[in-house]
Amino acid sequence: MKRLLMSKFVIGLFCTLLALPAMAQEDELVDLPGYVDFGDLSATYGEPKITINLGGTMLNFVGMMSSSESPETSEMISKLKGIRVQIFSLDENVDAAREQFGKTKSGLKSSGWEPIVQVNEDDEQVLVYMKAVDGNMEGMTVMVVDDEEAVFVNVIGQLNPAELAQVMDKFDVNVDMDLD
Amino acid sequence: MNEYDEKWEDRINALLDGELSIDDAELLKAQASDDRELARAIVEAYQLQQVMDQVSVEQAPQSLTKRLNAIPREHRSKPVFSLFQPRWAMALAAIPLVVISISLMRPDTPSASEIAQARQEMAIAFAYLDKAAVITGREIESTVGHTMANAVTGSVNKVIQSENLTSKEKEA
Repeated sequence: MKRLLMSKFVIGLFCTLLALPAMAQEDELVDLPGYVDFGDLSATYGEPKITINLGGTMLNFVGMMSSSESPETSEMISKLKGIRVQIFSLDENVDAAREQFGKTKSGLKSSGWEPIVQVNEDDEQVLVYMKAVDGNMEGMTVMVVDDEEAVFVNVIGQLNPAELAQVMDKFDVNVDMDLD
Repeated sequence: MNEYDEKWEDRINALLDGELSIDDAELLKAQASDDRELARAIVEAYQLQQVMDQVSVEQAPQSLTKRLNAIPREHRSKPVFSLFQPRWAMALAAIPLVVISISLMRPDTPSASEIAQARQEMAIAFAYLDKAAVITGREIESTVGHTMANAVTGSVNKVIQSENLTSKEKEA
């Protein structure tokens, strides 16, 4: 019996060691002022169809790789510390999703986030929040929910939407988003 | 062994081992001259000692010695759990090796494909941000008109830019 317990302990220890790098990266982002705790979104929306978690180290490498072809993009990326994206399909239970959306919105306000733009239509809601500490922009959060999907984006660091619009042409990406 | 033997055995052994005093040895010899049984016992004991001295000790084979030495260990009660047992000592020693192996498997420098994947993911995130900006711009435009929409979105950008400028000024 004791041997079995010790075997489980050793296996658990080994798994913990394997997960340490990922946990460390998540901890690194959690401590930043621009990090948003969206809560357990999967409990309301189900499993996300897209999940993106990019830490500062990886963004630095992406910025370095982009420096030769697009210095503007590299400059913009250098101000970022992390990017988190979660996108959920809303096949059913849209009302519950909208309710959860409202809770997240309240949580942002109580955490010191300031609303920049809000669109409240019957069929879609868009919220853009920004957090500044001592005059420094620490992060931006964009949440979009309509009848078909919910999008949660948390950019940690400094991001200027005007610069973003300028560099978007450099990226050959066309997201199939039913927002317009 | 009868009572007679028991009576004289210790004294005969002491005589042969040279542990008997001179007086006792002389007394025993005097008694043996009068007692044939005693004399014969002394002679037989002496002959036996001579034979035993000629017997050489044979060295046991190595394999037999090992097996004989292992008998006490096999009958020793086993401790329930101890970190000093060889298997646990080896397991504990292996932990640093596992940590080092993991760190080597996950180097700080990502591969080119990982960076390309990260760039693609970042582009997707930016695309969603851009789309959200389009929606908000469209909504503002439909509400307050094109001219006012540009003024509103422009002022939002200015707010964010001013935050960045403030940050740069502080850094400088």
